[in-house]
Amino acid sequence: MSAHLLAVENLTRRFGGLTAVNDVSFHVDRGEVVGLIGPNGAGKTTIFNLVSGALAPSAGVITFKGENIAGLKAHQICKRGITRTFQVVQPFPDITALENVMIGAYVRHGSRTAVEKAAQQALERVGMGHKAGVLGKDLTLMELKRLEIGKALATEPELLLLDEMAAGLTPVEIDDMLTLVRQLNAEGMTLLVVEHVMKVIMNLCHRITVLNFGAKIAEGTPAEISRNQAVLDAYLGGEEEYVA
Amino acid sequence: MSAWREYLVPVVVFALVGLLPAVLSQYWLHIVILILMWAFLSSAWNILGGFAGQHSLGHGLFMGIGAYLTAYMANTFALNPWISLVLGALLAGLAGAFVGYATFRSGIKGAYFALVTIAITEAAVYVVSNWRALGQASGLSVPLVGTGLSRLQFDSKAGFFYIILVLALLAVLLSQWLSRRRFGYRLIAVRENEDAAEALGVDTLMTKIQATALSAALCAVGGTFYVQYFTYVEPRSVFGETISIQILLYSIIGGLGTVWGPIVGAAVLVPIAEWVRGTFGQTLSGLNVFVYGAILVLVMLFMPRGIVGVARSLQRRIRPRREGVEPAASSAGAGDTARERGGA
Amino acid sequence: MTFSSDVILQALASGILIGGVFALISIGLTLIWGVMKIINFAHGEFLMIGLYIAYFLITGWGWDPYLTALVTIPGLFLIGALIFRVTIRPILKDPTMNQIMLTLGVSLMLQSGAQMLFKADVLSVQTKYKTIIMNLGPVAVSLPEIIAFVGSVATTLILYYYLRTTDMGRSIRASAQNPAAATLMGIDVRTTYLLAFGLGSATLGAAATLLLPFYYTSPTVGMFLGLIAFVVVVLGGMGNFLGAFVGGLIIGLTESLGAALFQGSLSRVFTFGIFILFLLFRPEGVLARRRA
Repeated sequence: MSAHLLAVENLTRRFGGLTAVNDVSFHVDRGEVVGLIGPNGAGKTTIFNLVSGALAPSAGVITFKGENIAGLKAHQICKRGITRTFQVVQPFPDITALENVMIGAYVRHGSRTAVEKAAQQALERVGMGHKAGVLGKDLTLMELKRLEIGKALATEPELLLLDEMAAGLTPVEIDDMLTLVRQLNAEGMTLLVVEHVMKVIMNLCHRITVLNFGAKIAEGTPAEISRNQAVLDAYLGGEEEYVA
Repeated sequence: MSAWREYLVPVVVFALVGLLPAVLSQYWLHIVILILMWAFLSSAWNILGGFAGQHSLGHGLFMGIGAYLTAYMANTFALNPWISLVLGALLAGLAGAFVGYATFRSGIKGAYFALVTIAITEAAVYVVSNWRALGQASGLSVPLVGTGLSRLQFDSKAGFFYIILVLALLAVLLSQWLSRRRFGYRLIAVRENEDAAEALGVDTLMTKIQATALSAALCAVGGTFYVQYFTYVEPRSVFGETISIQILLYSIIGGLGTVWGPIVGAAVLVPIAEWVRGTFGQTLSGLNVFVYGAILVLVMLFMPRGIVGVARSLQRRIRPRREGVEPAASSAGAGDTARERGGA
Repeated sequence: MTFSSDVILQALASGILIGGVFALISIGLTLIWGVMKIINFAHGEFLMIGLYIAYFLITGWGWDPYLTALVTIPGLFLIGALIFRVTIRPILKDPTMNQIMLTLGVSLMLQSGAQMLFKADVLSVQTKYKTIIMNLGPVAVSLPEIIAFVGSVATTLILYYYLRTTDMGRSIRASAQNPAAATLMGIDVRTTYLLAFGLGSATLGAAATLLLPFYYTSPTVGMFLGLIAFVVVVLGGMGNFLGAFVGGLIIGLTESLGAALFQGSLSRVFTFGIFILFLLFRPEGVLARRRA
């Protein structure tokens, strides 16, 4: 039994004839920020969906706090302490920002007062305290991205999965987002991030796992990754943007 | 508004309505009973259709279960209707859980769910029309064995009035209570964005099944009241497409997914339909349904959020706008799809 | 209950023949769903209008039953296009619930309108075709049933090839698959939607002409036939042309076998029972492959 917070072993997911994730293994330790990168279609989001329970793996083991969670439903995994955000923000449009976050907080609290308090705190942690009464559909993209993280924080996760939090943001907004995520990590949150924007990955992650065509091609610190020939080939082979 | 005031308002409103028998004629009292009955049934539907956003067009099934079970039990076992009320609610709750499980398990939703539920309630019409113990196409009458609260039968309309008044009040209080509870928030989360709800720890399948069961059980209670009041039930007066549409109509016109929508909708529509029926019923049978259809079309085209929705946006326009609130751009009703804003 | 194999054979034959018409009724619904993701809950009422048009042309003006297609098909196209233009197009981007409610409203208006105009009477026509019976061994079927089946298959094929091979058909399919991309390619999506809705309704004109000689019309006929179309479309897998055809045959067979085996409207229970079983065990529709 591994002592890692999250250990993914030999994870495979097939869609019909296509193998989107092929025998991938990696781990995340408490307090770390681990990045998953790779060109489009490399299988990053599929891995996210597998770890968070949106999809069930075809094969492999996902161990979280010593328990195999592979194949559990998303809501069960959330209760065990892993919460994800979505690349395309997924607010509840017709209720307020506070109520959006309350839905997450209800996982941990029963009474409305406790839930409101926890939700307000989560909103403040992501710098959205002053927007508590605004409807989800009336928020800007940056606010929605913050709300997305706030909702996830309200479920009090031990591992937070962030899917492309910089996508669609301006360079200034990306810096704000980086500050926010670093702050969360400094407060003790463990993070697994999928990211396209290299600046974010290189500045944020302790370790990085690189995927290409569903398989792991490299693993290491940001410095090691930036010198890795296989990684450079993968990115130059694909026409992917790897600068912001 | 603080929590206790949210409960006090309906209590006061319904207490005032409770004074009506003193001033109303029997005819108008009948109209008010119909208003309250449809408001109750529509509130029950609104839990699933409005709060959880699952558009059932088959709730006649559950109303029918309550009505038929009550009539059958009274005829066969001389069972007290209050016991039938509970049994009907339980049976309809089970039926609702089954319908919910069978459909939601395989991801059926939206218009597809509407189609399937119509088919199920229409199937019930044909089943009951061929069921000898249930009187087949000619239906069942409730034997009159005496009056009084314990028998849920009354000499005067006022008795029925107070029963349905209390039921409708309870439905409003339940909706109000749900809208501030974990379960209520889960219903809304399911309606607004299922993927996000699931990711935030909401068991969306179970939530939908529970909502269907609760909504179904309440509809059955409405069915029991229906048969006690009219003392007669036939397949198409409770089961089937037309009644199922009528059940949800008031929520839609009044304001989908709001506590007061079903009440307001019924209070506006029932008198119109009854007046049309009373005035033109002999010469133009069907005109009241035509009016319902026309109102439905017009409301969907010009005020898709219903009466309560329009009142709310007026209220919001009058109140000073909070910082950062932009005027809502879309004309959408209760949004059942999350729309990405901005880029990404 | 006693029945011979002849009864079953007879039921199978009529089931397949009426199943073809059920399929045709459903194709329009599935086309509209496939293109704009709208269920027209007034679909059955459109068919009812077609049946009344055919009825009055035959009884009032003495038309040949099959000549009425000249009026029912373009007539239903225009009615469909008009109702689409006035009521459905403004709410194409509204939530599903509102679209359902709007078409339900239209359906209530048409149904009760027919009741006010024509009373609740069940009307049917007597034609010379009805008396022509074809014998095939123990099975006897009337000519109108055969014409209905052949006509339904032909209409379906014509529609299918129209969508496959013509420019307009390709625009409809492109708009169905990706409205945004279709717009970029210079396709006027609003017009193609109008056309698709008109075409989906026009199929009901054909169905009305084919049905009436051996069926009936009444203000509520659309409620039942519309329901059949819903069931067939769900069975066939929403938006699937071939699925709708197979679904139509399945429902035709269950209706007709049910009528042979059970008395009265109990056969309907049989039909819906089959539907609910499919729903439980094969919710993706008859032809769909299981998802991976």
